[in-house]
Amino acid sequence: MLTAARRAVIRRRLLQAVPVLVLATLVVFGLLKLMPGDIAITLAGENATDERINEIREMYGLNRPFLVQYGSWLGHAITGDLSKSLASGEAVATSIARSFPNTLLIVLLAMGVAMGVGIPLGILAASKPDSLLDRVVTSIASLGIAVPSFWLAMILVAWFALEWGWFPATGSVALGQDPVKALHHAVLPALALAGGGLAEVSRQLRSSMVEYLSSSPVRTLHAKGLSPMSILWKHGLKNVGVNLITVATLLFNRMLAATVVVEAVFAIPGMGNLIVNGALHRDLPVVQGVVFVMVLVVITVNLVADVLYTVLDPRIS
Amino acid sequence: MTDRQDDATLNLEGRTLNRREWLAVTGAGIVMAAATPGVFAQGTPKRGGVLRVSGSANPSSLDPATGGAGTDHTYLWTMYDTLVEWDYDTLKPKPGMAEWSYPDAKTMLINIKPGITFHDDTPCDAQAVKFNLDRGRQDQRSNIKADLSSIASVDVTGPLQVKLTLLRPDTALPAILSDRAGMMYSPKAVREFGNDHDRKPVGAGPWKFVSWADNQKIVVTHYDKYWRTDRGYLGGIEFSIIPELATGLRSVVAGQNDMAYAMPPRLKPIIEKSKDLNLVTGPTLYCLQIYFNLAKKPLDNVKVRQAINYALDREAFVKLALSGMGEVATMQLPKSHWAYDPSVATLYPHDLNKARALLDEAGFKSGFELVVGGYTDQDSVRRGEIIMEQLAKVGIKLKFINGTVPEISGQFFGNEKKFDVLLSAWTGRPDPAMTYGLMYAKDAYFNAGRVEVSPELSTLLQESRASENMETRKQVFAKIQRIIMEQGLVAPLAFTLEFNAISKKVQGYKPNLLGKPKYEFLSMAG
Repeated sequence: MLTAARRAVIRRRLLQAVPVLVLATLVVFGLLKLMPGDIAITLAGENATDERINEIREMYGLNRPFLVQYGSWLGHAITGDLSKSLASGEAVATSIARSFPNTLLIVLLAMGVAMGVGIPLGILAASKPDSLLDRVVTSIASLGIAVPSFWLAMILVAWFALEWGWFPATGSVALGQDPVKALHHAVLPALALAGGGLAEVSRQLRSSMVEYLSSSPVRTLHAKGLSPMSILWKHGLKNVGVNLITVATLLFNRMLAATVVVEAVFAIPGMGNLIVNGALHRDLPVVQGVVFVMVLVVITVNLVADVLYTVLDPRIS
Repeated sequence: MTDRQDDATLNLEGRTLNRREWLAVTGAGIVMAAATPGVFAQGTPKRGGVLRVSGSANPSSLDPATGGAGTDHTYLWTMYDTLVEWDYDTLKPKPGMAEWSYPDAKTMLINIKPGITFHDDTPCDAQAVKFNLDRGRQDQRSNIKADLSSIASVDVTGPLQVKLTLLRPDTALPAILSDRAGMMYSPKAVREFGNDHDRKPVGAGPWKFVSWADNQKIVVTHYDKYWRTDRGYLGGIEFSIIPELATGLRSVVAGQNDMAYAMPPRLKPIIEKSKDLNLVTGPTLYCLQIYFNLAKKPLDNVKVRQAINYALDREAFVKLALSGMGEVATMQLPKSHWAYDPSVATLYPHDLNKARALLDEAGFKSGFELVVGGYTDQDSVRRGEIIMEQLAKVGIKLKFINGTVPEISGQFFGNEKKFDVLLSAWTGRPDPAMTYGLMYAKDAYFNAGRVEVSPELSTLLQESRASENMETRKQVFAKIQRIIMEQGLVAPLAFTLEFNAISKKVQGYKPNLLGKPKYEFLSMAG
C-alpha cells in the first residue's frame, strides 16, 4: 500500500539518489584518471610510436579536459547510452545485461542461505542464552565471520568440484538458458559468499532477540499464557524485524561488492569480473557503466528497505 | 617483449631445428617425452566435436590489423589463415595461402593459391590481398603500419598475383606475412561493418566466427568451404575466457574444459596428478630479461651494465623462477637457434667478484638503488624477488613499482620514461633482424632511452635485412649479438617452455616455438 508517508519516503530517497549517482561516478572517474596508466597505450598495440598513441588519444577523445570527458559520459548515460568499451568495442549496456544476472543469481542465492540458516540459528541461540547451544551457535558465527570468502571458495572447489565432482569448478550458465544448470553452477559460489553473511545474521538476530525477550512486554506475553514458540516466532521476529531488514540490506550491498573475489575464484563472468577487467585496462566506459548500475541497485535496495521499515513499524515516517 | 605481445615467429630459414637437439640443451627431454605429437595421433583424425578451451585473455580485437595483444593469436588463427605459414618446430616460413619470391632486392611477388574463399563466400584473390595490405599500411586504426613500412606500393599484376615494390630490401617480409599482416580479412565485410568489424571477424580460416561475449566466451564453428582438407577437423571451438591461469587449469581438471594453455611451471604438479590430462610442453623463444634505459644514470655506464650481467646467477634463476623448466639465456636467441653464437654465450659467467670490481671501477663501490618496473602477477613478483636478492649481493638495491603489463611497459618504453629498468620478457619476432631492430635501433620503441649505441651497430642492423643468404645473415647476427652483450645492453635471464594441460580426449596437438596453441590438427577422440 502506498500511503502518503511511504510516497514521501520514496520521493525523498529518489531525490537523494541524484547527487549520490553523480558523486559516485565523478569520484570513480577521477580516481581512474588519477591512476597511472593509459588505455591509449594498450589500444595502440605493441611497438607503437608516440605519434600513434597520440593519434589514438585524439580518436577516442581521451585528450579532452577531465570535466568535458565526464560531462560527455554523464550526458549519454542519462539518456541510457552507456557507450562502448574502449578495449573491445562491445556496448557497455550489453556487457552489463549479460553479467549482472550472473552476479544477481549468486547474491540472491547467498542471501537465501544466509537468511534461511542464519535466522533459525539466531533464534535458537536466543531462546536459550548462555546455554551450550547458544555457545555452539555463537562460535560457529564467529568462525563464519573470521573465514575469508576466497578461502572458503577454494576449499569448496577442492572438495565439491575437483575431489568429488558434484559441482562445476568454474563458469556460469544464464538462468534463462537452463535454470537447473544455472543453479548448479551458482551453488558453490553462493555458499562461499553466504558464510560470513550467515554468521552475521545469526549474531545480530540473537542479540536483538535476547534484548527483546528480556523486555517487559514479553513478560506480559508469558503472563497471558502464550507459548514460548509463539512468543519467539510471532512476536519476537516482528519486533526484531527492523533490525533484520537493516542487516539484510547491508548484507546484500556488501555481497554485491564481495562477488569480485568469489567471481575471480570461480571464473564467473559477472559484474565483479567486468569492473576488475575494466579497471585494469583503464577502460573508463566499462568501469563507469558498472558503477552507475551498481549505485542504482544499491539505491533501489535501500529504498525498498525504507518502505519495509514503515510497514513493520508504522512509527517510522 | 611482454606477456601481451604481438609477435613472434622466428625465422629459421634454411635450417631445420631438431626438437631433440633443443631438448638436449634444455634438459627438458623427460617432460617432452609425454608431449611428442605422436603420442596423441591415432590414425585418421575424426571430424566433428567441439573443443572447449580455457582462454587466457579477452582479445584486444578480432580484427588482426586493429588488435595489439600477443594473446590474440590463438583466437585469430582459428578464423584467419595467413599468406605465409611457419614450420611448427623451426618457425621457418613456408607458403600458406600464397607463395612468394624476390625477382630483385626491392620487389616481392605474392602468388595466391586458387579456390580460397572468405567466410562470406567472397574470393580471397589479388584484389583482396592488395586491399588488406593497403589497409594495414594506411588505415587510421591499423596497428601493423610499422611491420609493413618497407612497402612502397602494392600492385595487382594478375587475378591471383600481387607485386610489392619495396623502399628498401627487406628479407624479413615473408616472416612478417606469417603474422598479423598476413591474416586476410574479407574486404566486403570491412566495408559493410565499418568499425564494427573488430567484433565481426570474417577471414578464410578453418572456423568461422559465431559469437564473442567480452571476458566470457568466444565461439567458432567449422567453415564447410575451407580450402584445405588435411586440417580443421574440429566441428567447433568454444573458448571460455579465464585470465587467472590456476582457475583455468581447475576448469580443465574438473572436466568443464578440454584444454588450458600458457600454464606457469608452478602448476605442473597439478597437471601431472590429474589422470585425465596430458601435460604438453615444448620450447619457446620467450625470453625473460631485464631491459635497461640506457639514457639514465648510472645505466649509461657500460661497466655498471656489465656488472649486473656478471652478478646475475641465471642457473639459480631458472631453478627458482621456472622450477628448472627453462633454458639459461646468455643472449636473446636460444642455443638451438641458427644464428646462435656460442662464443657470446661465455661472456658473463656468474662472478660476484668481477661484478664488484666493475662497480668499483665505475665509482659505485658502495652500491646504488635502481627503480624497477614490474608486473603484479604472482610469477612476475616471484621473479622480481629472486633478482632483487641476487643483485643485493653486489650492493645494487632494487625498488619495484608493479602494475599491469600495458601500464608499466607503456611507462617504461613510452614518453614517460619511468623506471631505470624493466623486468619483463621478449617473445621474439618473425626474424632476428626485427628483434634487434626493435630493441636497439636509435629510435626504436623498445630502446627505452632512444640512445644510439654505436654507428657500427646501426649499420649492421640495416645489413641484416639486405641479404637472403643464410650464412651472410648468420655472420651479421653474430656481430650484432656480440656488440649487444659486450655492451651489456640487456640482461637476458631465461627462455621459458610452453606448458599446456590437455584432456586425453583431444588428439593431434603439436606445440610450436611461439608457445601459442594452434588448433588446425586437433581432433576429438571416440
